[in-house]
Amino acid sequence: MDHKAAIRKFLQDLLAAKGDRRPFSDDDSLVFSGRLQSVDAVDVAVFLEENYGVDFAEMGFDQERLDTLNGIVGLIEETRRVKH
Amino acid sequence: MSAAAQPQPAAPRYVPFSWLRDFRLIPRLETYPRVVEFSQTIAGKALLLALFGYGLYYATWLHYLTNPRWKVQICFLVAVTVLPKYRRILLVAGTLVWACGIWWKWAEHPQIIQAAISLTLAALILWSAMRFRSSWIACRPVLTVLTGFAALVFAASYLPRGGSLRSAAFSFLPVAGAYVWFLAYSLMDIGSKRRDPVAMQVGIYQPIWGSSNTPFPKGAAYLRRIEAQNPLQLAVAQIKGLKLLWWSIVLDLFLNYAFIPLVHGYLNVPLYDFVFHLSLVRAPFKWYMGWASLICEFIENMVRFSIWGHRIVAVCRMAGFNALRNTYRPLASRSIAEFWNRYYYYFKELLVDCFFYPAFLRYCKKWGRWRLFAATAAAAGFGNAFFHFFRDLNYIDDQGFFHALVGFQAYIFYVIVLSVGIGISQMRQRKHENVGWIRSRIVAPLCVGLFFCLLHVFDFTYFAYKRYPIQEAFRFLGHLFNLVS
Repeated sequence: MDHKAAIRKFLQDLLAAKGDRRPFSDDDSLVFSGRLQSVDAVDVAVFLEENYGVDFAEMGFDQERLDTLNGIVGLIEETRRVKH
Repeated sequence: MSAAAQPQPAAPRYVPFSWLRDFRLIPRLETYPRVVEFSQTIAGKALLLALFGYGLYYATWLHYLTNPRWKVQICFLVAVTVLPKYRRILLVAGTLVWACGIWWKWAEHPQIIQAAISLTLAALILWSAMRFRSSWIACRPVLTVLTGFAALVFAASYLPRGGSLRSAAFSFLPVAGAYVWFLAYSLMDIGSKRRDPVAMQVGIYQPIWGSSNTPFPKGAAYLRRIEAQNPLQLAVAQIKGLKLLWWSIVLDLFLNYAFIPLVHGYLNVPLYDFVFHLSLVRAPFKWYMGWASLICEFIENMVRFSIWGHRIVAVCRMAGFNALRNTYRPLASRSIAEFWNRYYYYFKELLVDCFFYPAFLRYCKKWGRWRLFAATAAAAGFGNAFFHFFRDLNYIDDQGFFHALVGFQAYIFYVIVLSVGIGISQMRQRKHENVGWIRSRIVAPLCVGLFFCLLHVFDFTYFAYKRYPIQEAFRFLGHLFNLVS
């Protein structure tokens, strides 16, 4: 499974746990639209730390970058570029 | 494929009162294509503005207020509706006109100068953080600003009493304090590629739609994200704004013409202030009167608070920023954490952004399963206490720093219980997703309401401009359970 599919699956599960089964596109706002709460953004952050080695302590935490699926994928790619 | 092989559709799950779930007193007009289409025409925009302007006027008239804010606000809304491309510039101009105009009208001339000094200082700090990216303030912006402000207050509290320096300091610091949390949001935004220029950030501190020390709706990063990008989004945001304003008026009418006359007039439930005062002066009262006054106070506060937040968010939406509500159905909360999120959303967001995220992602990484709990305590506990302690600066001026801190004991107890409650609730939330309808929709909201109702006893010790020791809060609690005569 590629990054995008894995993250989409994770976000879908997170939304489903809150009773939200509506679909979302790659650019749909999830946090700022209120579908995910700020505390849920922490779940996303932990998922990225554990699975993709993203270190928010180092790069700073920007909620805007976790707001959309494409934003999250971009964050992972940036982390990988910096590491290599 | 045979009929037998086809998956049988599952029998629809019975959900009690499911028809109520979709019922709306004010229909979801923003989902009606023809309404949205009409709202994009000149006639539609004029109608929306007229209804909104009348709503603002009526809301002011209801309380016999002479506050001219609605006039300034409607002029601003007409301008941003006609010139949406210049929305951000108009927002800065409207905010400055409002701030100068109202202080001039109220003859608070020194405050104009103090506000101007505060904004200039904020702009300098922001510019420095942007210019020197490896500096301490750029790396730890919130920590630096909050520590700096706290140090200033601490130093001011040790200036000689009656001196002009102390009086100048305690006249200036509350004004500066009104901008501190706005500056914190701007500093958190300096890493963003799409950040606004310094003037555009500082110019919207205490924006025209209203705010408290808590920034509504968060900072410039959030505004960028929720700003309408086309006429369709603007129409939807404006319809939602209009609906929210009129919903706040419905709540206002309910509170002032139905609820208060019923409970305090017809049913003779005493005001909570009065009953608390009886407890303070050791006068007897019936335990059920204590409960009745506490519950009524809790409901009144919640409705009043919703009205206040709705009016701010309504103007913000009407200006083309589709902000989330500040208060959203708090009584439907099934957990303490959910209630805290629904009751005062922008305060919770401020604490999450300034305290929860840094604690969770930077300082508590090795805490394992206690990581979430520690970060919650940092936000709902420490951050909450810090915000309120450094908000009531007149109290620090009167009492001195350490006496004020001691006088804050009941609120410290309040934030400890609150943060433990939220922390436990967040952990439980993850374990129990599916419980029965009665338990999740009736029992849980009642328990959550009861928790916050009782906690309000400790939140209410700043009464008649005086703080009372924690024993008085416990004494009132004892009255509620008929343990004190």
